[in-house]
Amino acid sequence: MDELAVSLKTAYPRALATLIRLLSDIDAAEDILREAIARALEVWSREGVPGNPVAWLVTTGRNKAIDLQRRYTLEVRHSTTVRAEAGNNVTGESVTARPVAEAEASQHFDDDLLRLIFTCCHPALAQEVQVALTLKTIAGLTGPEIARAFLVPPKTIEQRITCAKRKIRDARIPYEVPTAAQVSERLDAVLAVTYLLFNEGYNASGSPELILTDLCIEAIRLARMLSRLFRAEPEVTGLLALLLLQRSRSGARLDTAGHIIPLDEQKRALGS
Amino acid sequence: MQYALLIYQAEEVMENWSEADLKEALTRHRSLQEKTKANNTFLLANELTPSGTATTVKRRAGKTTILDGPFAETKEHLVGLYVFDCKNLDEAIEYAQGIPNVDTGSIEIRPIAHYESLPAG
Repeated sequence: MDELAVSLKTAYPRALATLIRLLSDIDAAEDILREAIARALEVWSREGVPGNPVAWLVTTGRNKAIDLQRRYTLEVRHSTTVRAEAGNNVTGESVTARPVAEAEASQHFDDDLLRLIFTCCHPALAQEVQVALTLKTIAGLTGPEIARAFLVPPKTIEQRITCAKRKIRDARIPYEVPTAAQVSERLDAVLAVTYLLFNEGYNASGSPELILTDLCIEAIRLARMLSRLFRAEPEVTGLLALLLLQRSRSGARLDTAGHIIPLDEQKRALGS
Repeated sequence: MQYALLIYQAEEVMENWSEADLKEALTRHRSLQEKTKANNTFLLANELTPSGTATTVKRRAGKTTILDGPFAETKEHLVGLYVFDCKNLDEAIEYAQGIPNVDTGSIEIRPIAHYESLPAG
């Protein structure tokens, strides 16, 4: 993957998570982000990848959302206010789009990513639905890629994701970081999803490359973030350790042609 | 958003409640109702009389049938319901845990459908 594709893949979940908060709707955020990515491909290939790709995508997406809002409503209450349509509102709160300053951005993006993860892993969704939804939104995997990981038809995965989004919207599953009391019942699902995300990168199904370093890094980043937040949870630390251990061998797992080298023939010196 | 919290319970469990069980259940109902009335989320609470009092009506091809008993012959019956106006599902889940039957039966949470205006008809 070239630099541009890598930047987009890495920026995708955080940009999506923030746009969902701003627009209060997963589908709308995905549509807007798709448009922002199309624009990014055009601008970044000409001018280079910006310093903060997530902030660039969010700002571009937010501006597109405001444009759409202007086109569809005769009266905009305030030029910087994006109000989600009543029926599509996840949180029920009106939403104010704010300029994304580089300095404040990264903390917000982390929080939003966490919101997205815990919403996708809400116990009111069946676990197979949680995993499918998280892989779609956080890892940016396509329906067929997720389907292959689960060994089910792609249509089944699309249906699961559609049902999940409908339940999130209609039953109003909140887009919030859970309270301490809710964490214990939700953390297992989040860890399972993180593990599957790493697995998809460790032994990629939907890509000609066998190892998708980005997905592994994203999974480890998630595990690190979880371990920062839930220091007292041994399961989180254990998962992070497992992922790091597996990741450390990645330089030794494939030969120059991209074929798998058996464990006993791998050069330990190539570990990192 | 309004949520109906439907309480399902095997009726013999409640029939076999002791005085003390009943008193404790009532205390918990009262506490939930006081809390949700205080924060303006309470809309409705009703206990249903036992399923032995149920009558089921249906009409097929113009013929009305009236039957003794509840719609579904199951072990657990709908024994009561609450309606709350909650900000999201997590708040409804919190209140569900305040209903005493959560320990012996199940609480099904269903958002109440909302339309801006009913279709003309």
